[in-house]
Amino acid sequence: MRILVAEDLYLLRDGMVRLIEACGHQVVATASTGPETLDALRAWRPDVSVIDVRMPPNQSDEGLRAALEARREMPGLPILILSQHVEQLYARELLADGSGGVGYLLKESVFDADQFVDALERVAAGGTAMDPAVIAKLLSTGSPSRGLDRLTEREYSVLELMAEGLSNQAIGRRLFLSESAVGKYTTSMFGKLGITDDEDTNRRVRAVLTYLNTAPH
Amino acid sequence: MKRLGAWAARVGVGFWRACAVAAVCLVVPAVWTGAVALGIWSGAGNPWSWLAPLLLAVVGTLALSRPVCQAVRSLVARWTGTVVTAGYRQAGPVTRMSTGYWWNGFSYERTRRDALMDQRWRVRWRDPANGRDLRFTAIAPFTAGLPAAVPPAALAAAVLGLARPEAAARVGGVLALLVAIGSAPFAWRLLDPVAVRFLRPSAAMELADRVKELAAQRADVTVTQAAEIRRIERDLHDGAQARLVALGLSLATAQKLMDTDPDRARALMREAQAGATASLAELRELVRGIAPPVLSERGLVDAVRALALDVPLDVAVSAPGALRLDPPIESAVYFGVAELLANAAKYAGATKARVTLAPDGNALVVTVEDEGRGGAEVRTGGGLDGLRRRLAVFDGTLEVSSPPGGPTEAIMMVPCESL
Repeated sequence: MRILVAEDLYLLRDGMVRLIEACGHQVVATASTGPETLDALRAWRPDVSVIDVRMPPNQSDEGLRAALEARREMPGLPILILSQHVEQLYARELLADGSGGVGYLLKESVFDADQFVDALERVAAGGTAMDPAVIAKLLSTGSPSRGLDRLTEREYSVLELMAEGLSNQAIGRRLFLSESAVGKYTTSMFGKLGITDDEDTNRRVRAVLTYLNTAPH
Repeated sequence: MKRLGAWAARVGVGFWRACAVAAVCLVVPAVWTGAVALGIWSGAGNPWSWLAPLLLAVVGTLALSRPVCQAVRSLVARWTGTVVTAGYRQAGPVTRMSTGYWWNGFSYERTRRDALMDQRWRVRWRDPANGRDLRFTAIAPFTAGLPAAVPPAALAAAVLGLARPEAAARVGGVLALLVAIGSAPFAWRLLDPVAVRFLRPSAAMELADRVKELAAQRADVTVTQAAEIRRIERDLHDGAQARLVALGLSLATAQKLMDTDPDRARALMREAQAGATASLAELRELVRGIAPPVLSERGLVDAVRALALDVPLDVAVSAPGALRLDPPIESAVYFGVAELLANAAKYAGATKARVTLAPDGNALVVTVEDEGRGGAEVRTGGGLDGLRRRLAVFDGTLEVSSPPGGPTEAIMMVPCESL
C-alpha cells in the first residue's frame, strides 16, 4: 500500500514510518503541518493516510480538518486518524459522510503492530477502525435510535464489535462463534435496522452509523 | 366595571403606599418638630431650656437614620423590584488570642461579649455609610415624604370639610377628596428615583468594597492554584513517573534475560507495553482534568458539545456557531458546565439536560437545565460555592434555582469584552 504519514513530532513520525515499512508497506509522503497534509493528500491520493489531529501552525485540530476537507473533495479517501485522546464528537464528524474508509484510534494502538497494520488495511479497503473507547462511551450514553432496541443481546454485541471495525471472522473469534453464525446474526441485524444494500462493506458502515446515531446522508 | 375595579384597587394600593412613604420619610422631621415643641413648652426665651430638646433631636436623628434608610430600601424592593445595595460595613471575625484575650479587629477585650459589643459600636459608628444615610434622611422628607403626604392630608381635609355644615367648606371637602383620590396612585412613586439616586453606596465605598473583594479573591485563587499544582504533582509522582520507572526496570531485566531466558524476556516486554498503555491512559485523564484537549483544539462550543456526548445524560446543546473567548474564561466556563452536568447526573438523578450558551451584550450567559429532582443549593464550602468563587475571579456570577422536585436551572454569567 502507498501510505501518507502526517505527524508533527519527529520522533513519532519517524517511528511510525519505520513500523509501516517493517510491515512491508510503502510510505510515499510525510507531512508535519495541516496545510502540508492537505497538499500531500491531494497530490498523492494515498491508499491510506495516517494523520494526527493536532498539528502546526495553530496546534489546534489542523490534521482533522485537513482530513475532512480532503474527504469532501475526494469522497471515500481512506484516512486513519491517530490521536492522544478520542472524542465522540470527532468520530461522528469523520463518519458523518457515510462513505466509509475511516479510522479513529488512540496513538498507543501502534503498540500492537499486527493490529495496527490490520486496522490500516481495513480502512484502506473502505471499512472502519474505531477505538473501543469511543464505542464504550457510546454504549454508556447512546440513546436508543431507530431499530436498535429491537436487536437481541447477541446481535448487539456483534454490532458493537463491527463498530470497532472487525471482520466477521474476527468477531467470531472474540465471541466464540463460527463465521457463518456471525454471518447469520449480521444478516438478521441488517434486516432489523432496515439496511438493504448489496455490498457488504457499505452495509457494515451503515449499520455502524445507525449505531452511532448519525444518519447517513 | 372591571376597569373601574382595577382603578379603585390602584387608588387603594397607592393611598396605602403613600401613607407608608410619608410615615417613613417624615419620622425624623417629626422628631425635630417634637423637640421644637418641647423647647417652646419649657420656655422659649431661656437658652438652657433648648439643651434637652436639641440633644433629643440629634440622638434621635443619628439613631433613626439607618432604620429609616433600611425601611426605604425594603419598601422600594418590595414595590418596584429595584434593589438598592446598602453597602454597610460588616463586622469581621472575633478571635481568641494565645493570651486569652479576644481580638475583634480594633482592640483586645477580656471577654468575647465585650469584644463583640465593642466591635459592634465601632463598626456602626465608623461606617462611611452613616454620612450618606444622614444626608438621605435630610433629603427624603422634601423629595419623597411631602409629595407622599398629599393624599392622606387631602383626605383629612376632606373629612374635616364634609363634616362642616357650611356650603363653602363642603365644596372644599369635595375638592380635597378629588385631590386625594387623583394623587393616590402617583404620590408614592417619587420614592424609587430618590432612593436610587441618594441611597446607593458612594463611589469611595464601592471602591473600598471592591478592593476588599479583590483581595479575598486573590487569596482564594492563590490557595486554589497551589492546591491544584500539588494535586498534579502528586498524580504525576504516584502515577506516570512510578510507572515509567517500572517500565525501565522491566526493559532492563528483559535485556538481561534476552539470551538466557527468552520466554521470560518476552513476558516482561509485554508487561512493559501494558505499563506504557496504562500510564498513557493515566496521563490522558490528568491532561483532561487540567486542560481538556478538545477545548484548545476547538474552543468552548465544540468542547461543550463533546462533553455533552461524554456524560451519561441526554444533553441538548444550543450555541452560536463560533464563540472565541479568552482561554482562562473558556476553561472556567467549560469546567463549570462539566460540574453542573455531573451534578445533574449524580445528585439530581436526571436523564435529560439542556445547555445553552448565548452572548448577551458584553457577557456570556450559560444556562444548564435538568429535569432531575432539584433541591440543589449553594452551601458554603460546597461544590456550587467553589464554582461561584471560580467564576467570581472573572466577575462572573452563578445563580441556581432548584426547587425540591425540580427542575434545576443554573445560570452562569461571565462578562467578556471579546464578544
